[in-house]
Formats: sequence, structure tokens, C-alpha cells
Amino acid sequence: MTSNHLWFLIPEAILLVGVVFTAITGLVRSTSIRQSTPVIAAIFVVASGVASVFVFSPDHLDTTAFLMPALGRWVGVITAAVGLVLILNSIGRVDRRLEQAIAAGRLRFDPLRAGRGEYYAFMLLSLAGLMLVCTANDLIWLFLALELTSLPTYVLVAMSRTNRLAQEAAMKYFFLGAMSAAIFLYGFALLYAATGTIEFDRMRYELQSQAANGGLGALAIGGLLLSLFGIGYKLAAAPLHLYAADVYEGASAPVTAFLGFVPKAAGVLAIMVLLVATGLSELMSSLPYPILIMLWVVAVLTMTLGNIGALLQRSVKRMLAYSSIAHSGYLLIGIIAGPGLGYTAVLFYLLAYGVGNTAAFSVLSSLERRGEELTSLEDLAGLRQRHPLMASVLAISSGSLLGFPPLLGFWGKLLLFIAGIQTGHLVLVIIAAVNSAISGWYYLKLVAVPIMASPTARSESVERGPSNWPRFAGVIMVIACLVLPVFLGWLVAESRDSARTAQAVRADSAQAEADAVQPSDDSGLFTALPPLKTALQSPAKR
Amino acid sequence: MSTPPAILAELSSYLPVALIVVMAVIFGVVNLVGTHLLGPKRRGERKEQTYESGMAPIGTARKRFNIRFYILAMTFLVFDVEIIFLYPWAVDFTQLEPMSSDATLFFGRILFFILTSIVAYVYAWKKGVFRWD
Repeated sequence: MTSNHLWFLIPEAILLVGVVFTAITGLVRSTSIRQSTPVIAAIFVVASGVASVFVFSPDHLDTTAFLMPALGRWVGVITAAVGLVLILNSIGRVDRRLEQAIAAGRLRFDPLRAGRGEYYAFMLLSLAGLMLVCTANDLIWLFLALELTSLPTYVLVAMSRTNRLAQEAAMKYFFLGAMSAAIFLYGFALLYAATGTIEFDRMRYELQSQAANGGLGALAIGGLLLSLFGIGYKLAAAPLHLYAADVYEGASAPVTAFLGFVPKAAGVLAIMVLLVATGLSELMSSLPYPILIMLWVVAVLTMTLGNIGALLQRSVKRMLAYSSIAHSGYLLIGIIAGPGLGYTAVLFYLLAYGVGNTAAFSVLSSLERRGEELTSLEDLAGLRQRHPLMASVLAISSGSLLGFPPLLGFWGKLLLFIAGIQTGHLVLVIIAAVNSAISGWYYLKLVAVPIMASPTARSESVERGPSNWPRFAGVIMVIACLVLPVFLGWLVAESRDSARTAQAVRADSAQAEADAVQPSDDSGLFTALPPLKTALQSPAKR
Repeated sequence: MSTPPAILAELSSYLPVALIVVMAVIFGVVNLVGTHLLGPKRRGERKEQTYESGMAPIGTARKRFNIRFYILAMTFLVFDVEIIFLYPWAVDFTQLEPMSSDATLFFGRILFFILTSIVAYVYAWKKGVFRWD
């Protein structure tokens, strides 16, 4: 088992080797080697994404003891894809003043002042943590993976040492994060007390037998509630969402993009893994009542507070921060809908959200005003006239985040809503749809202000940033928003395969042996997603 | 319910711990109150100072230290922990048959482990941790 488990850690091991290389090349005296640090980081991220496809290939999966055997493949690939863009976003921004001073001959290179190597090394570490969440098979593993995701992000926020706002943000983020870790660790301790094991396999067995004999005990319920509540911090789920706006505003734009995706994805995946560990599967997908109520309330609060908060903002970064809170609320619909269609929708939505959100932040990373980041919406007024490409990137990415029909975000939301309706959470889906409509107000502002408003004195002085890579990253992500819907059937089939629990896989293979019939190879949308077909054909069936 | 719930039975095994806690509290309170009641009370300028022995305190307690102290201490920690891991390895290594495949594997593993620390050392060196100017 151990050597087998090591095999599934190859993608993470590649990232860790990358951490070593980036940390050291960032400190080399030669400027050209130093500037290749992001390239090295990007190479290792891509390699780990490719490795996770091979590592989690079907012939290896027979032997795993994971709760959701193929989860690592989907997550590895989207982590690598989004991680690559996040790295491109940061090019030219890290250590900018120091490098300028060195180039001008005002300073000699001082390794203690340089943060470039550490910046990319911490990014890779955090990505490795996100991937490790998928292969977690006990509570301690899950806790360490979540913390490996979060701890580097605290440092990333604090890395702009001269910016007081960033320092304040890092402090808030760190202390509240420590508190949330304590909360979910306490929940884990209660789960251990309830089941007497930290291994998910045995925990599932234990909790299932408890559920069969008159419901889960108070310890198990309390432990789950505390764990989910604490992990909610990573998602910026209400009521632990309050840090998000301040932290996202204080951090620099590439770091904010990172915070908007990586800890959030890790939190969502951790919740999925934890719920599957309580015995949830496609065969038995009803949550215990207290957990259901809690998740329901948190989902509604999160999306409503996120959207209303976003309406009130004038700063683009704060607006996107609140919008990311709202997206966590949508993701929780999929979690409530449970394994099967619900988790498929969650995985797909993570892709759609990651692509849209990083594209929007690429725009902020690629533009600047007198060497400072853009802050208010005014800075974007009339962006189309001087930076037409960036204006269209911003328009398309916010259209995707809003869920505008042909774009990737629309299909993500559609899947989530269908999953919610299929499992009988119609009220929740209606609330989400109303919220989606509310979010139109501020997303359309992000479309309209750059395109239709006339430039102001502030926005006239907006210049290109130090590097063209963030522009490139934004364009790539927007192309993904436009093109990926073409491959929708394949993507949904892939995310469905990745979201399957071990129990369903076992049941399916038993069924296949009984039938000895090969499943259909057609991966069109309808065959990939039978529930969608039934939902569309029989709207009366609730 | 005739039999007590299982959780109570488990809690009763913690009785000695609870007893220790109670005794610790009593010990502390008795000592404080006892010295207050029984001890001689002589006040004076010297007696009120930070160090009652008469050593004059210098400066404030909230003094700032050079960050290099912390960095160096962290680097020390890396190697300190590494050495602690080497001891059990060395004890086990002598039990193995010399030049056997197990011994080679065992040796290779510790080399890899030391390599990871060397990477940390190179990083610290490049970062300028050992430069003190």
C-alpha cells in the first residue's frame, strides 16, 4: 500500500523538485538565470500536470484505496493549467524595484532582499498542497495538505514588504487562517473520537454502521459540522468570508488571483473528500440532516452576502473578491447535491471559475498607473480606446463569470443548477439564480465601463505593465472560455469519471461483470450526462 | 437507562488526571496564600527592582534583535533535526549484513536524506544567511 501510494505522489514530487530549483535560481547573481525562474517554475508545473494524467490512468487505478480514485487526474490537470497562468501573471512584478535598481547600477544584488525564488517556490508548494488533498486517505493527511496549501499563501501576501496594506492583509489572513485551522482540526479530533480511527476507509465503515443503527452520533455530527465550518474559511464561505475583501485588496494582483483559486479549490475538494469519508456515494447520497441544514444556510448566506457586497464596491479587486465569495456559494450547491452529478458539476465549475477568474486578474496584472496597480473602477473607464485587447479580455472573462450563455461559465452554472434540481433542492437553485441575476449588475459594469464609458483623467494615464506575459495569459484564458464549450461532452465525461467514488466504481465493475456488456463509447453531452437528458426531457419530474 | 453510557466509563479512566489537576491548583493556592500570610514583609528600593539580587536592569525588555539571529537559529534547527535522525539510522545500520543489498539501499536512503539537507544548506548559503556584516 505505501509504495503504491508513493506512485500517486509523483506529480507532487515533481512540484517539490521544482520548489528546490526555483528557490535556488532566484538567488543566483546572474540576472539572466534569475529571470528564468518563472520559466523553470512553469516547466515543473506543466510536467506535474502531464504526470498526473499518466499516474491516474485507468490501469493504475484498480489498486488504489482512495475514496475518489480518479479525482487526482482532473484536479492535477486544472491545477497545472491554472497554475501556469498564475505564474505567467506574476512575471515582471516580483522584485520589480530591486531589479530596476540593479539594472540602473544603483544597487548590487543582495540575496537577502530578493524574493523572486521564494515567490515561485511558495506558489509551487501551494499547488502541491492542492494536489495532495485529492490523494488524502486519512485525516492527518487531509489536514497537512490543507495547511500546505494555505501556509505559503500567507507568505505570498506578505511578500510585498514595502506595501503597508499588504502587511495588514497578511496579518489578518494569517491569524484568521490559524483560527480556522484550529476549528477544523478540532472537528477532526471529534471525528476521531466518534470513530476511533483516522483512516477514511475505516471511518466510512464505522460511520455507515452508526448511520444504520439509528443515525450518526452526536460526536460525529459535531465533528463534521466543525470541520466543514473551519474548511469554509478556505472557500471564504460565510460567516468566515470577512477576511476576503481586505486580503484580496491588500495583496498584489497576481497573488490575489492565486488566492482566488488555489485555497478555494483545496477547500472544496477537502469538503468533498470528507463527506465521501462519511459514507456518501452515488448509491447513498443523502446528507445527515444537521449537515444538510448547515451547508444549505452557509451556501445561501455566502452567495447572497458575496453578491450584495460586490454591488457596493468601487475597487475592482474588492469587487472580484466579493464575486469569488459568491462563487463559493454556487460551488456549495454542488456539494449539497452530493456525489454523482453534484460533484461532477463542482469539478467542472472549478475549471470554469478558475479560467474566468484568472483571466480577469490577468487584466489587472498587465496594466498599471504610474507604476501602481489599478484599484478603482474609474481607472478602467474607456479602457477600450487605449488597450482594446485587455478591455475585451475583461469583458469576456466577466461574461464567463456571470454565466453568459456560450461561454464556459454558463455551462458550469447550468450543471450546478441541474444537479441541485435533480436532487430536489429547487429552492436553493432559485436563490442561486436570483443571485446570478444580481451579479449581472456588477459583472456588466466590468464589461460596460471599459467599453462604453469615456476615458477620464485617471484612466488616461493607464499604461502597459512591465511584462507582456500577463497579457498573453489573459488572452489564452479567454480563448479557453470561448473554445472549451465546444468540447463540453468530453469535459463533462472526464469530470464525471474523476468525481466517481470508490464505491460506485466497485458497484459498476460488478455490474459490468454481470452484464458483460461494454459501455457505449460515445461521449456526447447526453450520453456523458444521462441525468441532464432526463432533466431536459421530463421537466415535470422533480 | 440502567447502565451508564460508555462515554462515562471512558471518562472515569481520566480520574487520576483530574486528581492531579486539582492537586496542582491546591498546591499553587496554598503556597501563594501561605507565603503571603507567613512570610516576613520588608520593603525597600532594592527589593522592588526587577532583579531582587541587586543587579541593575539595563534598557527595556522590548528590545529589538537583529533578524539574523532568527535566521541563523532556523538554519541551526535544520541540521540539528537532521543529526537526531542520523542516530537511529546509525544504530540500525550496524545490524545489517555488510555489503548486502539491504545495506546498500539503507545507505542510499540516508544519502538522499542528507542531500535534502544539503539543498537547504545551499539555499541558506546563497541567501547570505552566513554573511554577518
